[in-house]
Amino acid sequence: MSLFGMLLNWLRSKSRVLAWLLFLALAGLVAANLFVRPHEAEYVFDAYPGFWAVFGLVVGLAMVIVMKKIVQPMISRGDDYYERNR
Amino acid sequence: MSAIVSGFVHPTLGFYLLALMLPFLPGKTGWKWLLLVPPIVAIWSVMTIAPGEYGQVAWLGQTLHFGRVDKLSLIFAQVFAIMSLIGMVYALHVDDRLQHIMACVYVGGAFGCTFAGDYLTLFIFWEMMSIGSTFLIWLARNPVSTKAGFRYFLYHTIGGLFLLIGLILRYKSAGTLAFDHVDPGHMMAYDWMIMLGFCVNAAVVPLHAWLPDAYPEGTVTGSVFLCAFTTKTAVYVLLRGFHGVEALAIAGTVMAVYGVLYACIENNARRILSYHIVSQVGYMVAGIGIGTAMTMNGAVAHAYAHILYKGLLFMGAGCLLYAAGTTKLDKLGGLAHRLPWVMVLYMVAALSISGMPGFNGFISKTMTIAGAAEAHRTWLAIGMEIAAVGTFLSVGIKLPYFAFFAKPANDKMELRPIPLNMYLAMAMGAALCIAQGLYPDMLYRYLPFAMEEAYHPWTTWHVLQSLLLLGFTGLAFYLTRDIITPHAKTNLDFDYFYRLIGRGVLALVSRPLAWLDDRWTEAYRAVGLRGLLAAGRGTAWFDTKGIDTVVDGSAYTVRNIGVLGAKVQSGRLQDYLGLTAALALGIFALVWYLA
Repeated sequence: MSLFGMLLNWLRSKSRVLAWLLFLALAGLVAANLFVRPHEAEYVFDAYPGFWAVFGLVVGLAMVIVMKKIVQPMISRGDDYYERNR
Repeated sequence: MSAIVSGFVHPTLGFYLLALMLPFLPGKTGWKWLLLVPPIVAIWSVMTIAPGEYGQVAWLGQTLHFGRVDKLSLIFAQVFAIMSLIGMVYALHVDDRLQHIMACVYVGGAFGCTFAGDYLTLFIFWEMMSIGSTFLIWLARNPVSTKAGFRYFLYHTIGGLFLLIGLILRYKSAGTLAFDHVDPGHMMAYDWMIMLGFCVNAAVVPLHAWLPDAYPEGTVTGSVFLCAFTTKTAVYVLLRGFHGVEALAIAGTVMAVYGVLYACIENNARRILSYHIVSQVGYMVAGIGIGTAMTMNGAVAHAYAHILYKGLLFMGAGCLLYAAGTTKLDKLGGLAHRLPWVMVLYMVAALSISGMPGFNGFISKTMTIAGAAEAHRTWLAIGMEIAAVGTFLSVGIKLPYFAFFAKPANDKMELRPIPLNMYLAMAMGAALCIAQGLYPDMLYRYLPFAMEEAYHPWTTWHVLQSLLLLGFTGLAFYLTRDIITPHAKTNLDFDYFYRLIGRGVLALVSRPLAWLDDRWTEAYRAVGLRGLLAAGRGTAWFDTKGIDTVVDGSAYTVRNIGVLGAKVQSGRLQDYLGLTAALALGIFALVWYLA
């Protein structure tokens, strides 16, 4: 295994720390949004701080849950339905 | 050779010359370096040529315009040339000459379409692309790709027929084959027909299902070419002919969202990427449909950036297929430490497509969205933002997470070592993705449409907005990572309906039409044969007395030709296609030479 590979494995063992770093960064971004605002709002609501954070989170959650839990059970068939496996 | 005399070395020329030469070159691997020549010539050609009209050839009473060189065709040709070089480097280790020949036929076709000034020339190269690309799928040489290739060819033949019908009707009615912009307010039925033909290749929903059906089945290196040229050539012709058509604005936004929704539940890495072609081309089609200078420039910029990062994504997925033998995410996982550079180079592309600041998607995608908002198309802009969330979710996080991480470090899976040239090609793509992201002017200076005020992507607000959007999408993934886990399933798409139509036609042919054919054969036997026999007896006398001696000689000749013809008619579509392409190339070369 290359040195780089070992580094990646070490990072994987610290996934909890990395998750907290992500949360911290996200909090930092929202805090920055309190001060940095768009010059002119393009969709009215995006003038409020945190709009794009909420947008990303809600759309992301909704997409995964609706597609995986509701849509996929309806439109999915067996893996070899079209015989395109090898 | 009129094309060279007039000072423009048409990039197609190099690719088609190489395609003709490749079967005859001696040696096992020495010829491979020649693969790099046509792309380099193409890059030199498009970087140095001045806009103008080149290479007009009179043929069958028509003037074929091979060389319409303007800012719009040049920027597309430029990125095609760069991508062809990257694709050829990626394919250098492949020994199968036919794959290289077909890549040349395909890529040369794309250049031909780009510089075509009339519909006839466009149609010729359009079909060459269709043939070349079909082979790039078939040459994976397994039963799955054989079937997928047939389906792919069928869709594209139908799309090509729409184009052909449209251009013939247009010629009948308007008396010209010129390929220019059509006023969206005065579109005739034949214009819609042509646009429909373009839309098949642009994978506009619901005509898109051929793409995620076929691209995952291409060869490792062939799919890299496929993902770059077919849809982007279609984007180019839509932009040239049909910008400002409202239907495209809406269809494009639908594509953008539709693609990410399917990618969200797909398991096969190359199929996820294919759905994201539908989605990303959606941005371009929407930009074309909205039709302001800013959105059209956004569409061009996005096409440019997209070709680079999508090629890189397919190269990354190709590495997985090459090394591990599969691209199914439920079978992969825990490979990061064994393919670290594949992961890093893939991530460059993944962040590019997601529009992360510092990568080229950031400077192209935001341009289209901001343009849509500025044109007061709020809902379209919001649709594109939703698609941006889905893009990062699937390509930016889900695919790499389940391919490289997810499971504990996987030391057992057997991996075939990846050739150096594949890494090199990926590094070239990655370098360009980052360079364009950091220096937008590298790309912006070639944009064809004049804007009232320049667009600046690197403002504090744009960066913060992108980071917020992507960061919290990441949080959404973190929270739902157990739900989004890919499952080995086939997700039904519109090709379900295509297949129904196919089965319907088959049933019609095999039952009622076959019945009719049987009856006809019987009637012919009863009536026609008897009449023929009577006539035959009459002529037999004349024949034996007079003509035998003369005709026998020519009869033998005819029979011998017949035997040859029978050999050629093997009944295999592959052979017919290959012959047609070879014949077309020959005629084409002859016409070019004589003109």
